[in-house]
Amino acid sequence: MEKDTVTFAVMLSVIDFFLSMVLISGIGVILWLLPFLNRLGKLDEESMRRGH
Amino acid sequence: MFFDEMLHFFGQMASQTGLAQFWWGNVLMIAVGVSMILLAVIKKYEPLLLVGIGFSCIISNVPGSDLTLPGGLFHYAYEGVQLLILPPLIFFGVGAMTDFGPMIANPKLVILGAAAHLGIFVALIGAKLLGFTIYEAGAIGIIGGADGPMAIFMTMKLAPHLLPQISVAAYSYMALMPLIQPPVMRLLTTKRERQIRMKQMRTVSRVERIAFPIVIGIVVNLLLPPVAPLITMLMLGNLFKEVLVTERLAKAAANEVMNVVIVILTIAIGSTMGADKFLTGSTIEIIGLGLVAFVFGTGSGVIGAKIMNLFLEEKINPLLGSAGIASVPIAARVAHVVALQDDPENFLIYHAMGPNLAGVFGTALSGGIMLALLQ
Repeated sequence: MEKDTVTFAVMLSVIDFFLSMVLISGIGVILWLLPFLNRLGKLDEESMRRGH
Repeated sequence: MFFDEMLHFFGQMASQTGLAQFWWGNVLMIAVGVSMILLAVIKKYEPLLLVGIGFSCIISNVPGSDLTLPGGLFHYAYEGVQLLILPPLIFFGVGAMTDFGPMIANPKLVILGAAAHLGIFVALIGAKLLGFTIYEAGAIGIIGGADGPMAIFMTMKLAPHLLPQISVAAYSYMALMPLIQPPVMRLLTTKRERQIRMKQMRTVSRVERIAFPIVIGIVVNLLLPPVAPLITMLMLGNLFKEVLVTERLAKAAANEVMNVVIVILTIAIGSTMGADKFLTGSTIEIIGLGLVAFVFGTGSGVIGAKIMNLFLEEKINPLLGSAGIASVPIAARVAHVVALQDDPENFLIYHAMGPNLAGVFGTALSGGIMLALLQ
């Protein structure tokens, strides 16, 4: 398909906007899952700060 | 005889200076450079950027100076941009300064980081309609993401000759966001909507804060290699901050590294603002399209938040949508200030930082997808 046209620009925009939504939703899902890591345990921030 | 020789001698001397090549365009661009410095000094508009860009713009328009030519110092600064080294380093510093807690604490708001980027595509189509090539249009569209390093990165990938116009438009509109956004935000919301208060957010643990940059680094490199350098460095800077055991490195990234890179970057941008390249009709078109992109981006963010409210039991303040534009923390601050005007006890800043940070990812995702589709 010829890229340097207005039609391609519109198609590019629609696909890009849609995929951006999908991918950022994926990041949202990752963020939603992050609290489950807290089940692994807690980090002692004081000892971490003293660690260097 | 003697006077003829003297005249010839001085003529030769003059031809070796820049005076012979001086034209009104240089005078105009020197005035632009001086205006930038004055805006920074008097109005405090983006002083860290405008002073360097303004000075470099002035020097670049003094004919005879070899600073911007290959071998000149400013040229090497530009090489840092051309080789795409400086924008990722800016992201490195930003990562070390940024608390991603508000974004991690409220995952549903990240969608606003994509919703507020409709302006990118409006500007892209507008640029194509005005006769720009698809690559130029893509670079112009990214102005709507309101993310300076990302705009520079995309421009160098797609249309390097437009760097001065696009970077100046992006940074100028970012500085002007407190003037551009509020009328659009008020137009699209009711007073009652602007008064919606947000619930207190949960505390984000250290484990989550450390896991976040590592996981995002893996995902972005896996799915979006075109923009991986930017997000990888953003995440590295953030990891240095969050692990707590590399405090020195985090501080260096946020201060020394960031300051040095800003100096070189501003010199590089200003050095491309020669009158012959900058004083063209396309500059005015790009500046206009940048404004359109910011207005549409703000509007689409607010409308995106209102659409979310149709499905949410606990409504969100639609002003948060406008913060989905990537300019951190200006867009979040604007949402906070506009909300305060209708309810002096409605403090939105922490909540607005979530979509605002998601906007950084939204712009990077849009840019990465665009590069993948165009190249």
